[in-house]
Formats: sequence, C-alpha cells, structure tokens
Amino acid sequence: MSSALIEHTRSALAAGAREARGAWHLRATLAAAVVAAALLAPAVLPLAGRMPDIAAFVYLAVAAVGLTYAVGLAGIPSLGQGAFLGIGAFAEAIARAKGGWPLLPALLLGLGAAAAAGVLTGLATGRLRSAFVAVSTWILAWIVALTLISFPGISGGAQGLVLPQAEVLGHPLSPTAHYELGVALLVLVIVGYLIIAPRAPGLALAAARERSSAAVGLGVPVARFRLGAFTASAAIAGLAGALGVELAQVADPSGYDATLSFKLFVAVILGGARTPLGPVAGLLVISAFSHAAERLGTLRGLPPGRLEEMLTGYGLLLVLGLGGAGLLPAARAWWRRSWGDPARRQAPIRGEPLARVEHPAPLTTRRLSKRFGNLVALSELDLELSPGSVHALIGPNGSGKTTALNLLVGRLRPDQGTVAVGGEALDGLTTRGRAFHGIVGTRQTTEIFSDLTVLESVLVGAGLRRRHSGAFRTLFATPKARREAAAARRRALSALEFVGLAGELGRPSSELSAHGQRLLMLASALATEPRVLLLDEPAAGAGTAELEHLADLLDGLRKRGLALLVIEHNLRFVRRIADKVSVLAAGRLIASGSLAEVAVDPAVRTAYLGRQRL
Amino acid sequence: MSLVVQVIVTGLAAGGVYGLVAVGHSLIYRLTGIVYFAFGDLVAFAVFATLLVAAGTAPVSRTSLAPGRFLLALAIGLVFCSAVGAATYVLFIEPYLLRGSTLGWVASTLAIAFALRGMIGATFTRPAYVFPDPIPFDKVGRNGVVSLAGASIQVRSFFVIALAALLAAVAAWTLQRTRYGRALQAIASDVEGARFVGLPVETLVALTFGLVGALAAVAAVAAAPSAPFSVETGTLLGLKGLVAAMIVRFGSPWAAFAAGLGVGLAEAAIDNLRIGDLGLGAQYGEILPLAFALALIAYRSLRAEPDVERA
Repeated sequence: MSSALIEHTRSALAAGAREARGAWHLRATLAAAVVAAALLAPAVLPLAGRMPDIAAFVYLAVAAVGLTYAVGLAGIPSLGQGAFLGIGAFAEAIARAKGGWPLLPALLLGLGAAAAAGVLTGLATGRLRSAFVAVSTWILAWIVALTLISFPGISGGAQGLVLPQAEVLGHPLSPTAHYELGVALLVLVIVGYLIIAPRAPGLALAAARERSSAAVGLGVPVARFRLGAFTASAAIAGLAGALGVELAQVADPSGYDATLSFKLFVAVILGGARTPLGPVAGLLVISAFSHAAERLGTLRGLPPGRLEEMLTGYGLLLVLGLGGAGLLPAARAWWRRSWGDPARRQAPIRGEPLARVEHPAPLTTRRLSKRFGNLVALSELDLELSPGSVHALIGPNGSGKTTALNLLVGRLRPDQGTVAVGGEALDGLTTRGRAFHGIVGTRQTTEIFSDLTVLESVLVGAGLRRRHSGAFRTLFATPKARREAAAARRRALSALEFVGLAGELGRPSSELSAHGQRLLMLASALATEPRVLLLDEPAAGAGTAELEHLADLLDGLRKRGLALLVIEHNLRFVRRIADKVSVLAAGRLIASGSLAEVAVDPAVRTAYLGRQRL
Repeated sequence: MSLVVQVIVTGLAAGGVYGLVAVGHSLIYRLTGIVYFAFGDLVAFAVFATLLVAAGTAPVSRTSLAPGRFLLALAIGLVFCSAVGAATYVLFIEPYLLRGSTLGWVASTLAIAFALRGMIGATFTRPAYVFPDPIPFDKVGRNGVVSLAGASIQVRSFFVIALAALLAAVAAWTLQRTRYGRALQAIASDVEGARFVGLPVETLVALTFGLVGALAAVAAVAAAPSAPFSVETGTLLGLKGLVAAMIVRFGSPWAAFAAGLGVGLAEAAIDNLRIGDLGLGAQYGEILPLAFALALIAYRSLRAEPDVERA
C-alpha cells in the first residue's frame, strides 16, 4: 500500500519535473539570473546606508503587484490598496506594540485582517458596476486614512506605534534581511500571477473581465472568482504593510492616506495592468519622479513632497494622453515590431473527434411562465427537447422566444412552471448549476472574449467541469490539476476541430470574421460538454455558404445525441435543420409539429405568417 | 436649543457647498457614466486661483478686500476653473470613454486630481490659507457674529446657505427650462440618439465639465473665509459631494443638493451634539457619513440583481 503510494508520488513528481523541464526556456534562465543578482546585490554593492529605503520600496512593490491581481487579472478598479496596506500594518503593529505578540503570529494577523477587510469589501461591491467599485474603494481608502489620523487611541497619534525589535532565531531582523525577504516575496507574487493568468482560473477571470454575461453563460462562477482575486490582492497588501512596519520599527498613521492608494493604482496603470512586472516598473518611474521633484523642490525652497504629487500626476497624464497601454506593454509591442514574435509561431495541433453525449437526456418544461410588469412575456409553455433532434422555436419579434431561452438557462427566474432534464428538476439552479447539468445557451449577439486567443476562449468553456484545479491547486500545479488541465485542453481542441477553427488556435479571437466568432461561441459552449444546447439565432447575418456550414455542424451535433433548441427567423434554414418546430405568438405556444404541419395551421397563418405563403 | 440652532446653520452652510458639488457629480455621471474624482480639486483650484489674483501667495493680512479687485479675481478664477475642467475632459477623459476603458478614466481623473493638488501645493506652500472676505460681514453684529436663540452664528453662514440654494435653483432651472439643459437631458437618456439628431454632444459635455466646476466654486469661494482653506479641504469637498450624490444615486439636482445638505447637517450634528453624556465628537464627523454611504452602497448592491458589466 505505502510502496504503491510512494511509487505514485514518485511518478507524479517525475512527470512534474519533465513538464517543468519542457517549459524551461531562455527567458526563465534570464529571470532566474536577475532574481539571483537582486538577492546578491546587498553583499556586492555598497548599499548599506540606503537599505531601509530600498527594502521599503520592495515591500511597496509587493503591494503594487498584489493590486494587479484585482486590477489586471479581474479588471476591478480598486482604489483601496493603500487602505489594505494600512489595515495590515496597524493590525500587526497593535498586536506587537500593545499585545506583545511574537513576530510571526503578528504578521499573519496583519495578513488576515487585510484579507478579511478584502472579503467584506469584495462582497459588498461584487455586484456593482465598476465605476461604483472605484468610488466605494476610494471611500474606503479615505475612511481608513481618516480613522488612523483621528483616533490616536488606535494608531498611537503623532508618534505612531513603536515596535519592539524583531528577532528571528535570536538574530535581529536587519534591513538587509528585510530586503532579501521582500525580494523573495515579490518573486513569489509575480510567479503566482504568471502561473494563474494563462491557466483555468486566470482565463475565467479574463473572460469575466471582458464579457461578464458570456462568462456566466459558460458557467464561470464570476462573482466567486472576482471575490477571490480581490481578496488575494488585499491579503498581499496586508502582508506587505505588516512587514513594512516591522522594517520601519514604527507604524506611522499619516503614512496610509489616499495618496498611497492613488500611487499604487497609478503604478499598476503606468507600468501596465496585465503584466505583473508592470507595477514594479511603474513604481520605479514614480520614485524617479519624486526624486526629481525633491531636487527641484529644494532648489526652489519648497517643503519636501510638494512637487511630487504634481509630477506624478503630470507623468501619468502624459502616459495616459499618449495612449495609456502602460510602459511594459508598450515596450513589448516595440520589441515585437523590431524583432518579431516567437510566441506567435505555433504548430497546429489536431484534436480528437468530438465525443458523443455520454448520458443523453430530454429537456422538458411544464407551464413555464414569465411576466414583466403587465406584459406577459411567456405563458404556460410546454416544451420537450429530445436527444438527437433539432427543435426550432419560431415566432414574430417579441413573441417570447428569447425569454423562453433565458428561463431555460437560468438567466431569468420563472413566475411559475418547471424545467427538468432527464426527469431531474432544475428549478432554482443558477446558470452555472444548469451548465453542470449539461444545459448551455449562447446569446443572440456575438459575445467573444476579445482579449483571449481562440484556444483560450474555448478553454473558458472547457474549464466548467474542473474539480481539482482551483486557484490554489493551479498555483502548486498538483498532479490532479495538471491532469484536468490536459483534459480540458483536449476537450477544447476537439470542439475547435469540430467547428473548423483548429488552425486558428493562437489568433486573438477579435481578429476572427463574424462567422468565425459565431463558430467560436459555439465551440466554447460545446467545450462545456452539454447535453442540451440552446442557440439564439445562430444564423443571424450568415451568408449562404456559412449557413450550409452551420447546418452541417448542427447535423453533426444531432448525430452525437445532443438535444438542440434553435431560435431562428430564417425559415429556409429552419426547414433545412429542424426535426420539430414550435411557434410562439405573444408569449403563447400556438402550434407544434413538423414545419409542414405547422405551416398549414390556421392559427400560425394568421398570427405569424399573415397572408404570406411558406 | 442654542446648540441645535448652531448645528443647523453651520451644517446647512457646509452642506450647501457639498450639495453643489453633488449636483455636479450627478450631472457628470448621468451625462457620461463616469465619476469625476478631480471635482473637489478643481473647486480648490478655482478658490486658490481667486486667492492668487486677489491677494497673492503671501499670508493674508487684511480680512476684507476691495470688491472690485475681488470680483475680477473671482471671474479669473472661474474662467480658469471652467477652462481646466473642459480641457481635461477633452484631453484625458473622453478618449477613454470612447474606448470604454474604465481603468483608463479612473486613472486619468485621479491623475488630474493629483496634478491639480500638486500645482496648488507648489504655489501655495503654507499648510492652509485664510481667505479674505469680499463682503464686510464683520461690520454686522459682533465682528460678523450674531446671536440667534442663544447661539453665536457667523452672519456669513446665512449668505452661504442662500447663495448655495440660489445656485442649485439656477442649475435645476437651467436643466429644465433652457435649450442647453434639455440637450443635456437628451444626452443623459440616450447619447446615440442625441448624436443622431445632431446635438454637438462632445462640446456640450465639455462645456458642462467646465460649468459644474464653476458652479460649485462660487459657493466654495463664498464659504472659504469661514475657516482656513487647504488643498485637502478641496479634495474632501469633492469626496463629500460624491458621497451625497451616491446616496441619491446620482439623481436630480434638487435630490443631490438635498443629500449634500444632509451630509453637512449630519457632520455638524455628529461634531457637536451630545445626547446626555453620550457624544461622539469631532473625529467621527467626517468618518461616519463616509461609512454610512459605504454601508448604503453595500446594502443596495447586495439587494439588487447582479449588475456586473465589463470593466
């Protein structure tokens, strides 16, 4: 038993090592060399006098990189990073100075306090539009700053809280030790970002950032992921703040004002929000500004710090006025223009053919109804979608087709009626819950994740059934997480192969044609392994050849045992694909059957087709 | 009783200025969907520009000013404030609005705020300034203070309240009754529609960025002599106006103005009132309204349907 376990562990470790060796390249060597040089710098360079300042800068950089988890990864415009820094700093300072706590528990308390504040803020603002998130976090920054200044009982007043000298194994923590610790922490936070961003949790966050509604449609738990990113960002700030007061040996209540939050946000935007090194570059630029400002200020006889804000503001306005992608992305774009981009050259990978549905099941609705105020959008709809068939839902504009679809995928709650798949009731389940049961719908408008490549977009859908690759397991690349990632990749490739986009894997999805984007939406939905697929006007705007391609794809899905519902206006297309047609008019189902049967139904003729002949 | 009267008058005087800032925040949000983080600093910019022309950067020795020079200074201050407001919109905010980049406009409005703060700080190097009074209120009562129901109240407070209410009325009237105001309402309800019928949307919005700043600045200048004015005062003015506007969900001018008055009253009450032995004291006056607004935002967001759009 135990030897089998050891053998298992050994082979898993070997596989991990193989993967790591395979992924190792020149850039990683360079990065390792830079980190080693940074760690060795204090031993070689005569920096001893400036070490406290440098170490403080590194801690600030940790908080700034932490902020990219919220701003870059999740797209949350957080203006409260300085507040979380202050919360972490004072939680640890109070525990150490007043409570007499030892170093490590106090640091953990600082991290925990900031994380808790992050969770609360994240929960409170998670559903707000991003402008209001910015306002709320800005208000939070001011509340923390004003609290620290107005309550000397908490913050120690003008002198601040003086900490006892920290000791680790009997040695006092010198500024140089803080520097080494800070660099190590900085590397960890940056590497963490680099691991998460291109993998399932990062892709899900990017999808939510780009098109929240489409991400929700694919079963991405948007709210949970955003909360996680925001909390991680706050926790990192808390730890950096706690270590920062440990370095300074004093917690200064005036050091955590709204300017600090502004500075950190600026560092992220200035350097490039979606690159973890960006904030470090941004902070370097800002400190160059303040250095220059101090020089200028002394020349003009100004008190210190006066010119700094102005120059930071001007500098940021300059960068933003020039286009505002941030320093590092701009530098990278320049590099690519001059030297070509090696990442773009990617050998095409073939996926396996799309699998048949494993447990096909019919979807049934009973008396499904929805009203908006006085308007009856849908009234007592009974529908049955059988596996291996295409069901077309037609009707004039405003007859309730899209409402029906939204009720089926859980985007709307019905006023009455039930939805069941394979006899299992789905009522009360969210979009994500229904996606788990195999019911996925696409929207009428083309919704693509323009920041992601074709393969990445489909991986968002393929990530639905992950069970062992949350953020933590992805971070530590556990064997299960790696296996799941490989399986998700296979599913995504199969779906792309099926719709015919296998040759475009590395292309940004915004570069695809309108038809290509439609196919991409379909592939993303297929990668969730649906049993029931609901398509809202998949053929809108398609040309003749494209319609034929789409019809072939739907035929292929029917053969694989999917139950398909297609909302469609184009009756020629309906005739080509549909096994059964249901007609809605003013929210009521007025006819159901084959297209030929429906077409001769007098109610349909009057309500929908008028005097036209089919 | 005397304390209550004092709280009401000082609260309304402070709240009147917050209210006008809130009117500006609401209007800008409804026109563009952005939150103008530099608003308070723009108002401070107007106040300090007026001070610069009226009295220079030296510490003010006289408490009153010649009316002619003051009016000239105010006019110059307002013109500069409007020009900066409009120019920053065109240069740094509109490009990001067109791209739909939230991070972009948040960053640029904050950068504008700090550039303005820094500019004022580099010119006016003392921590705070006492603004000279253009109107000789000190001739009324005892050195500008009268007794009302046993409370000592600055005469200027009544003037500030009346002026703020008048300006709010002007704003509401402009929005309802003038061609310009109706054009703004059209933009607020449907930008594309407004553009389609031929309204010069960009020009009108830029103009509004200038005007709302000037509107709030007039009240701020009128209130400025009551207490020392610093860069921070301006930033906090913007923040409190924003809080008031958030409370009424960026509603109509009157709603925003009323919310501003409410914030001012709450602040004054928390600062001064005691119920029995229980008094909160001045340190809570600024924090509690902010905390209340944050709690209100949280409550609304948790109760509402998800409203997450793309960043």
